[in-house]
Amino acid sequence: MGTGVAQVISLAPARHRDDVLTGEGLLPVLPALRALLPGGGLQRGSVVTSGDWGLLALALAAEAVADGAWCAIAGVPAAGMRAAAEAGMDPDRVLLVAEPGPGWPQVVASLLDGFDIVLLRPPEQPPPQLRRKLEAAARRYGSVLVVAGEWPGAQSRLLVTEAEWTGIGAGHGRLRARRARVAASGRGAGERPRSAWLWLPGPDGTVTAAGEAASGMYSGESAPLASSG
Amino acid sequence: MTSRAAAARRVLVLRCPDWPDPDGSDGSNGSDGSDGSAAARAFEPVVAIVGEFCPQVEILRPGVCAVAARGPARYFGGEAELARKVAEAVCLGGFTCQAGIADGLFAAGLAARSGPTGLLVPPGETPEFLAGFPVGVLDLPELCELLPRLGIETLGQLAALPPAEAASRFGPAGGLASRLARGLDPRPLIPRAPAADLSVQQEFDPPADQSEPVIFAAKALADQMHDRLAAGGYACVRVQVQVCCEDGRELSRLWRHDGLLSALAVAERVRWQLDGWRGRASGGQGDDADEPGGSGSGLGTAGITLLRLVPDQLVRATGRQLALWGDSVPSDRVARAAIRVQAMLGHACVTRPVLAGGRSPAEQVLLVPFGDAAVPLRPADRPWPGQIPAPAPATVFGSPLAASVTDGSGQPVSVSGRAQVSAPPAWLSADGGPARAVTAWAGPWPVTERWWDPPHARRQARFQLVTEDGSAWLAVLQDGRWLLEASYG
Repeated sequence: MGTGVAQVISLAPARHRDDVLTGEGLLPVLPALRALLPGGGLQRGSVVTSGDWGLLALALAAEAVADGAWCAIAGVPAAGMRAAAEAGMDPDRVLLVAEPGPGWPQVVASLLDGFDIVLLRPPEQPPPQLRRKLEAAARRYGSVLVVAGEWPGAQSRLLVTEAEWTGIGAGHGRLRARRARVAASGRGAGERPRSAWLWLPGPDGTVTAAGEAASGMYSGESAPLASSG
Repeated sequence: MTSRAAAARRVLVLRCPDWPDPDGSDGSNGSDGSDGSAAARAFEPVVAIVGEFCPQVEILRPGVCAVAARGPARYFGGEAELARKVAEAVCLGGFTCQAGIADGLFAAGLAARSGPTGLLVPPGETPEFLAGFPVGVLDLPELCELLPRLGIETLGQLAALPPAEAASRFGPAGGLASRLARGLDPRPLIPRAPAADLSVQQEFDPPADQSEPVIFAAKALADQMHDRLAAGGYACVRVQVQVCCEDGRELSRLWRHDGLLSALAVAERVRWQLDGWRGRASGGQGDDADEPGGSGSGLGTAGITLLRLVPDQLVRATGRQLALWGDSVPSDRVARAAIRVQAMLGHACVTRPVLAGGRSPAEQVLLVPFGDAAVPLRPADRPWPGQIPAPAPATVFGSPLAASVTDGSGQPVSVSGRAQVSAPPAWLSADGGPARAVTAWAGPWPVTERWWDPPHARRQARFQLVTEDGSAWLAVLQDGRWLLEASYG
């Protein structure tokens, strides 16, 4: 399997990235996430983890996709694209590879070649050698690999540490928003753990910063649900 | 447009009702992937029968084909006689069919659908024939909605508008609609060219064990194919790559691209295809989803004796227009990566999500194979009363997870016909996992869908459940069974 990745990488020569989103820079992230990432964005060529699959992984990619980047989602047959769209990710620039199969490292390496962001939930815990190959592929092609799961070599690690739903009670209301504390840690100089409270998601599905104080902001009146055929 | 030019095109359309209309089916995944290919293959005998009357048959879609009627009608003794003979021959072949003849393809298509065996519209009477149809038959969704609101309900009323006004008021679609309503052709028929003439092939003797010489040959072959196509004024949007091995196996795969396939692009696809097969054989993975038109499980180490390229879907070479993707045209780099992954996993394994309408989260996204075009059958911009409001769940299970929801005393929670829960849900166990305490819940929200259509009818009660670990679920109770449709956060 490892050799498969090596082949893919050697087959495709490093080519000029002549697209709009060229080069070294950062891919933008939603304002609420900026403080959690070094440099305030997704560093091209880096690996970022987002804990288990959830809205956080989608939110990480949302702003860049809105800005014109292309995103591939691999290994997540259950990705909620409406939630992604509500978070600001344009589904027109997203491709899904629901089941990358046993040859998934080769699939991911190919995706890193073409897409600016690849969201990946690895079907199995990859051995270190394989991880290094995929990290090298991300660096080579200047793409960002967002991993939902463990990835020891990741440059940044984001994790939802606390979360509380509002708007729903015992038999009344409905899910309106989730106030979540996202902790970030990373590798490299000057990295110290940080955290922030986010609405993940807010009542309209967007991801925004939430205040420190636990407020009842979105827990108030809830509209009754219409039901009909 | 002079009446002479308008009257010049007599078209016979043959329609086999056994092949379903693409717009009439209610498939939840509205792409034309494998079914289209299988249907096209099954339609081939019909095309062959029609081809005996007139060799130039155009397949409009599987189940419908057309021929220019004028020449054969003269030979077979009149249009009515021609239609009768064709229909008879097709029926003898074991297919049911309807045949319609009129001026222009559009009218002939409608004529074929009129009546049990189709209809013959005499020359020059096509506008009168069309006048009675509602504008809905135009298959131009936006106009079909707009025109009736402006009081234009039938094609006759539309045809009465000055063509220039229709075009300037409604844009290109209006111009097209006006042409169709007046019985003119929107585009010339492209006769089905005998495919064998345009295919190119190369034999390898001795058999090629490596991919490289085959790919090298593919580049030259693709150039040759494009020269032939260009000489006929065609371009192709789909090409079939066939590879024969020394052990007698033949592997083929169809490559489709909504742009046009350049020679280099064709050669590159041959490379991916060979790589995909070789990789699959050496990796020893058996459970690949076979492509439509694909066969066998891989090349293994067999040498390649023959490479053949067959241009499969021809269009008139008029340059191309990018509309399918709206503003988001994938760059070459993205398309290349996507197609390479398709070569590894199969055409249908790389999809783009299209938001659609519906009440359950799984219905709200349609997955369309990359390179195919699809329009959601249920548009997203309708109200869909009863759908769960934002925020949407971040995880939507393709097939809902079985669950059990019990009350404080361990009894399963049920919902009465008057939408009353038997007891507040207290425990949730997902997919056979450990029971977790329910800390908050809401519901039931009853949904009764498509009660007029028994096979698709559905009665459900939806709940939102929050468990002690902070996760939130969208659960549904249907026929006494609890299912988890989605997970939030």
